[in-house]
Amino acid sequence: MLKLIPSRAASAQEPTSPELQQEIEQFLYREAMMLDNREFDDWYALLADDIHYYMPTRYTRGKREMDKELSLLDEAALFDEDKASIGLRLRRLTTGMAWAEEPPSRTRHMISNVQIHTTDVDGEYEIECCFMVYRNRLERQTDIFVGARRDILRRSDNAEGWMLARRLMVLDQSTLLSNNLSVFF
Amino acid sequence: MAFTSKVRLLRILSSLFMNQCRHRGMRLCRADAGNSKAFVCSYHGWAYDIAGKLVDVPFEDRAYGKVDKEQWSPIKVPCLDTYKGLIFGCWDEQVPPLEEHLGGMKWYMDLMFDRVEGGTEAVGGVHKWVIDCNWKFAAEQFCSDMYHAPFSHISPVIAAMPPGADPSQAAWPMEGRQFSDPNGHGTGFFLNAPGFLQALLGEEVATYYEETSRPEAIARLGEIRGAQMDGSHMTVFPSLSFLPAINTLRAWHPRGPNQIEVWALTIVDKKAPASVKDAYRKAVLRTFSAGGILEQDDGENWTEIQKILRGHKARQTLFNAQMGIDNDRHDDPDLPGKTNYVYSEMAARGFYGRWQEMMMAESWADLSCGGVSDDSIKGEADNA
Ligand code: FES
Ligand SMILES: [Fe+2]
Repeated sequence: MLKLIPSRAASAQEPTSPELQQEIEQFLYREAMMLDNREFDDWYALLADDIHYYMPTRYTRGKREMDKELSLLDEAALFDEDKASIGLRLRRLTTGMAWAEEPPSRTRHMISNVQIHTTDVDGEYEIECCFMVYRNRLERQTDIFVGARRDILRRSDNAEGWMLARRLMVLDQSTLLSNNLSVFF
Repeated sequence: MAFTSKVRLLRILSSLFMNQCRHRGMRLCRADAGNSKAFVCSYHGWAYDIAGKLVDVPFEDRAYGKVDKEQWSPIKVPCLDTYKGLIFGCWDEQVPPLEEHLGGMKWYMDLMFDRVEGGTEAVGGVHKWVIDCNWKFAAEQFCSDMYHAPFSHISPVIAAMPPGADPSQAAWPMEGRQFSDPNGHGTGFFLNAPGFLQALLGEEVATYYEETSRPEAIARLGEIRGAQMDGSHMTVFPSLSFLPAINTLRAWHPRGPNQIEVWALTIVDKKAPASVKDAYRKAVLRTFSAGGILEQDDGENWTEIQKILRGHKARQTLFNAQMGIDNDRHDDPDLPGKTNYVYSEMAARGFYGRWQEMMMAESWADLSCGGVSDDSIKGEADNA
């Protein structure tokens, strides 16, 4: 599915090591844990200034038109964010009056199928993975979001060793089955 | 697609048909979009041309002898009409003409659909999402409920304030009017509240709106609509809503009494530059869509109301809809029709009154044009 979103993977892939695989997976797990622990300031600090955080909408299409399954860049998207707009979303949560997340949802981010691709930029890797985000809130509202991600991770001298420079997400739903989309992926 | 005339558009629309096979009712087309020369039913293979005519029935000669293809084509939408690029359809052949249904609402709708030469168009793609609430909550809110905005939607306003600013200073405009149409439509808007759009949708959209769209709108629509109205909400009865200037349009599709499927589109002036259209696209998805920082909270409110209403006792509770009950006016020098203060529930009373009247009426002839009078609702409130 992520075929449809332009990839930055280098045409000639360099070999990667089990150590790198381990390091990147550990970073992705810590990052997911920050969201589940609602450590949003820490999570925000991992975002590069030039981040593009993007989730297109999806169409149900016939087999002959599988290349048109995702909305185009100039069409409706679920997220199309830069660092400032993500910051606004996070500041909103701190007001105590963001009712969709007040009381806050319980979320659990599960990350799997992590594949590393080298890119032509030094210190940048393109990571493909799958996610499952479970959200439960209030008495019994439950939503499950499943999809795939294509991230660009950039080496950094921050405490985690990495910054998130791009996050492209594809959700495996065409009609969104939840009453809102107030969680991050 | 560019339509040369309304006549031509209506001719194309005349082929709109129900997505349902006439053999056993299978959904004929299961894709959201695409190209096809025909619709072939996946169940037994009845085939229809794209105008919706039955053209082939497998084994027709041996199994049926003859199937009357005209009679067994999918059912068509019998009543279709358009207004300023919007297409309206109705399954009921007795329905009064669209012109009559829209009535006094057209003057207010033009605020969104007739501001500038060339009219409007939709940004590609549709936000579709599911909310477990009755469709009337959504329609009523856009019809009448400016009152919820300063509280439901205060968080993005506070979040957008400069660092260190006092959140209690987050102020919403207090001047404005509400309009209620006898056919159940309604709108409300602020008057002279500049800066409103910039705070919500950002600089590029606001600059286009103020410097390009507004002067032309003043020339086309006059002073009050062009220069003074801001931040409108709007519902065309029963289930079509807009936010002019913010430029979201949505249909609230009922999916039973406890659920709606929202289909929301972003509307832009056709002649706006591509960069402005894209700025609108982003601004609307960030504010008014399933993930929008304003709209998220509506979904929370509506689902919780609906859940509580499942309780035997809770659903018998009488709710307070008295706001502005004695303040209806018919003599506003600038505004046609029945108006009230912007924070009032006149249009909600008009909306529910019209709905109630339709539920009770036997036929269109039975329906007065004018909905239930405020007096009868007030009577109920007094008795409570
Ligand atoms: S239901 Fe369509 S062919 Fe039988
Ligand atoms: Fe709202």
